Amino acid sequence: MKKFLVLFAALAALWTAPAYAALQVDVTQGNAQPLPIAIPDFLGDPQVGANVAGVVRADLERSGLFRPLDPRGFAEHATNINAVPNFGSWRAITAQGLVTGQVTLQPDGRLRVDFRLWDVFGQSQILGLQFFTTPENWRRIAHMVSDAIYERITGEKGYFDTRIVFISESGPAIKRVKRLAIMDEDGANPIFLTRGDYMVLTPRFNPTAQMIAYMSYIGGKPRVYLFDIETGKQERLGDFPNMTFSPRFSPDGNQVALTLETGGNSDIYVMDLRSRAMHRLTTDPGIDTAPSFSSDGKQIVFESDRGGGQQIYLMNVDGSGQRRISFGAGANGTPVWSPRGDLIAFTRRQGVQFSIGVMRSDGSGERIITNGGRDEGPTWAPNGRVLMFGREAPGGRGSSIWSVDVTGRNERRVLTPGSASDPAWSPLIQ
Amino acid sequence: MSQSPSPTRRKVAAQAPMRRLRPTTAREPSYSIVGSLLFHGLILATALITFHRSFDTPEESHVVPVDLVTIADTTNVAAQAPPTPEPEKMDMPQPPALEVPPEPHMQEVEPAPEPPVLDFKIAKEKPLPVEKPQPTKKETAQDFNALLNKLTAPEKPVKTAKAGPRVIQGIGAGNLMTADIADALKSQIYRCWSPPTGAPDARDLIVDYDLSLNPDGSVGRLQMTPGTAAHAAGNGYTRAAAEAASRAIYQCQPYRLPPDRYALWREINPLRFDPRQMMGQ
Repeated sequence: MKKFLVLFAALAALWTAPAYAALQVDVTQGNAQPLPIAIPDFLGDPQVGANVAGVVRADLERSGLFRPLDPRGFAEHATNINAVPNFGSWRAITAQGLVTGQVTLQPDGRLRVDFRLWDVFGQSQILGLQFFTTPENWRRIAHMVSDAIYERITGEKGYFDTRIVFISESGPAIKRVKRLAIMDEDGANPIFLTRGDYMVLTPRFNPTAQMIAYMSYIGGKPRVYLFDIETGKQERLGDFPNMTFSPRFSPDGNQVALTLETGGNSDIYVMDLRSRAMHRLTTDPGIDTAPSFSSDGKQIVFESDRGGGQQIYLMNVDGSGQRRISFGAGANGTPVWSPRGDLIAFTRRQGVQFSIGVMRSDGSGERIITNGGRDEGPTWAPNGRVLMFGREAPGGRGSSIWSVDVTGRNERRVLTPGSASDPAWSPLIQ
Repeated sequence: MSQSPSPTRRKVAAQAPMRRLRPTTAREPSYSIVGSLLFHGLILATALITFHRSFDTPEESHVVPVDLVTIADTTNVAAQAPPTPEPEKMDMPQPPALEVPPEPHMQEVEPAPEPPVLDFKIAKEKPLPVEKPQPTKKETAQDFNALLNKLTAPEKPVKTAKAGPRVIQGIGAGNLMTADIADALKSQIYRCWSPPTGAPDARDLIVDYDLSLNPDGSVGRLQMTPGTAAHAAGNGYTRAAAEAASRAIYQCQPYRLPPDRYALWREINPLRFDPRQMMGQ
């Protein structure tokens, strides 16, 4: 009996002994906030260093995913980019990321820009890059630095080293002058590409961002033209007696899809830019227009009124397999395939309301992401995360360009010289 | 004009029935009425006090971590917790030495091309005046945060479990004894967790950590699980997600958890971060 009691006591002791099994926890809700990041002025030339850091801060802030901290609150003022920062002092001002950099004028006259990105909590350098350029190109380098930081923190490609081509509008509403213009993504360096003698519409970049296809009314009839940004040369695309409009490059840049009107019927064609051969894709008696290639170049999304109202359709690049994919309320048009391939942006018209929406490439998951009243003509950032579009102010008080995150957050006006519409976002500059 | 009654007369007429009632009340004073008034007054006062307390209660229930700490029989250790441990105590990669900075991954890029020279004659154009944007709906960081916070509903308040007899000191994860601790930890981490949400495939954003906590609730050791480490090595989205989770863990420490049940929370593995709900997937 005594033995039994001892055994029982031993078992009981075992039973109450700590087991130390690991706890499992699933965190499924967070608190989406822009990342606090400290970007002191770059060392070296004080003016250039301040300029570069200023552009980087502005780029990251504009994305809505970062919150650059006010440099006046910085406790540490580094004098050497190669020194390890005092992470405690950066933690104290709530910084989670830190960028240190310097600009140096090389003996050969080139500007050298180095920077390091530090993880303040992890107390380690997570990125370090060096760039060389001509001194007047400092702005582009600043955008490249922003792109590198954005990509390292979010896992997505950046979009700051890009350009926007758009239609600049001036003059009274009854005699509006529309000129083709181009500027950096942040609104800097705006340049007119055409004089304004003829109306121009719907500019589109080719994949190298060196060529623009657009529609112009030269000679009184709308036709598609190509504009070479480097040489300034422009040429008419094909010699057709009738209207051509709504051009869009294929992802490899070798083809242009466009609409050709013949005998009152508008259909979609693809032109091979090397042979200039045209291949007809649609034959429906309705108006088929606004073609846009998928990112893999195998499909084309377009708008058509063949079913009565204006809706979005999909087809293979040879014209086969045409089917409707938009079934939401109102009329839907100007579809644009995301460079990432997962979404299609479009313009929704419902009564007098125009808004921008996105849907998956099979038409599912439709979401309207703007409600500015008259928003139209979406264009994608090269990373497929942000959209720009044109917004017309009520009462014909001019138009402007806006950007919005694909989630519908972070809607902002884009700086343009005067009124502007019909933006097209370039790929990342090569 | 003389035929229509003046506004004053109409007002008097409307008040007449009330005036007729007054004498009746005045003529019959009664102790029962005084008693009734006192009685109702008491009820009203009681109701005010009770209601006042009941209105307070929901607000208190939001103070999640404070509620939780009261589970423990001992004093609130977290409030007296030492400050964040010094970096060298963390089992993290050592920062590079001052004298010999590590050679960063240097990448020399080709000199950026000159700005394109346009052949097109635009010399006569005046420089474009840059128009300032119209002030839009207060695009301040606060507004943005407010919007995001609205979109991401906070974690449910933690249930305040009553302290019961603790017969079993340690046991496997995910049972009644550890559910409140898991909830408490989640409610403290979520405030600091801002995951990247841009990946095309949300599954790339799920990351697992093995976290050891010190008795004071500070981070003792933190490392990705082998599966997550392998995934992050080949996927930029996963790496970004893992780093966002790591920032959250460090930022929100020390964690306030019942010190007498340290054995239950000394190691959390896996501590999983899964943003799919936030992304609506």
